[in-house]
Amino acid sequence: MDIQLKRGLLDVCVLAAIRSCDSYGYKIIKDMKPYIELSESTLYTILKRLEAANMLTVRTAEHDGRLRKYYHITEGGIRRIADFKEDWKEILSIYRFVTREDDDNE
Amino acid sequence: MNKQEFLEKLKEGLAGLPQPDVDERVSFYGEMIDDKVEDGLSEQEAISEIGTVESVISGVLSDIPLGALVKKKIKTKRKLYAWEIVLIILGAPVWLPLLIAAAAVIFSLYVSLWAVIVSLWAASFAVGITGVALIVPAAIHFSKQNILSAVAVIGMAICAVGVSLFMIFGCAMASKGVLLLTKKVTVGIKKMLVRKEKSDEKVD
Repeated sequence: MDIQLKRGLLDVCVLAAIRSCDSYGYKIIKDMKPYIELSESTLYTILKRLEAANMLTVRTAEHDGRLRKYYHITEGGIRRIADFKEDWKEILSIYRFVTREDDDNE
Repeated sequence: MNKQEFLEKLKEGLAGLPQPDVDERVSFYGEMIDDKVEDGLSEQEAISEIGTVESVISGVLSDIPLGALVKKKIKTKRKLYAWEIVLIILGAPVWLPLLIAAAAVIFSLYVSLWAVIVSLWAASFAVGITGVALIVPAAIHFSKQNILSAVAVIGMAICAVGVSLFMIFGCAMASKGVLLLTKKVTVGIKKMLVRKEKSDEKVD
């Protein structure tokens, strides 16, 4: 996939991965894996950016005798996903326009 | 390499960044390795999935703007003594032109590199345009019933267009190469900044 396009999608994907319940780094990557590949360093950058934009909060909790960071989606994050869905409607209509002639030819 | 060694090396490589930032990144990768191990991987496998320390450090540094690293480096230096300030000002006629000259040399090298690329592109397009433009003499020959000449000109035109297409592919690859080189050099400079600071700290 185009790098620019992927970059824009990753933020929303990470938010979607923590939407239903709080999650941690490794689980986020694992949950996203069937849909989109994400490296650890990319995830770190995205989490930092989303935290700075108040779209998620971080808490540290003990797990199995060690510390683990859990990420929790905020109102802002939920709104970001809603915006993405709205944008996507527009993108879908553009997609239909772009592929219009392909369908006619088939 | 085990987890401890991996994290130690990562810490060393990032030593020039602000301390809380380094700690946070190191604990992030530590947690990642622990979680992978908990999921059934061996420590070795977990680390090799993350990649080499070098690649992680390069990734981190390419995310941070060069300006921020330089600013941080200047900030962490101790305050200058009065005599050092005097020396810097008095020495300005010597070091300032040298600095400007050095910067100019580096800049001109970079510009000339791109100039080569631009001229390659221009040459490729020129050959292509020549090929297309040869249609005109071909048409003239044709109208004068000089069929053989017309065919010869058309042949040349096709050759020129073909060569031009071939050259354009080469140009695209060369441009990509220079871009990649730019990125590598930038990461290299960042690494130098980070490393140098580390040795400064050791002196202190």
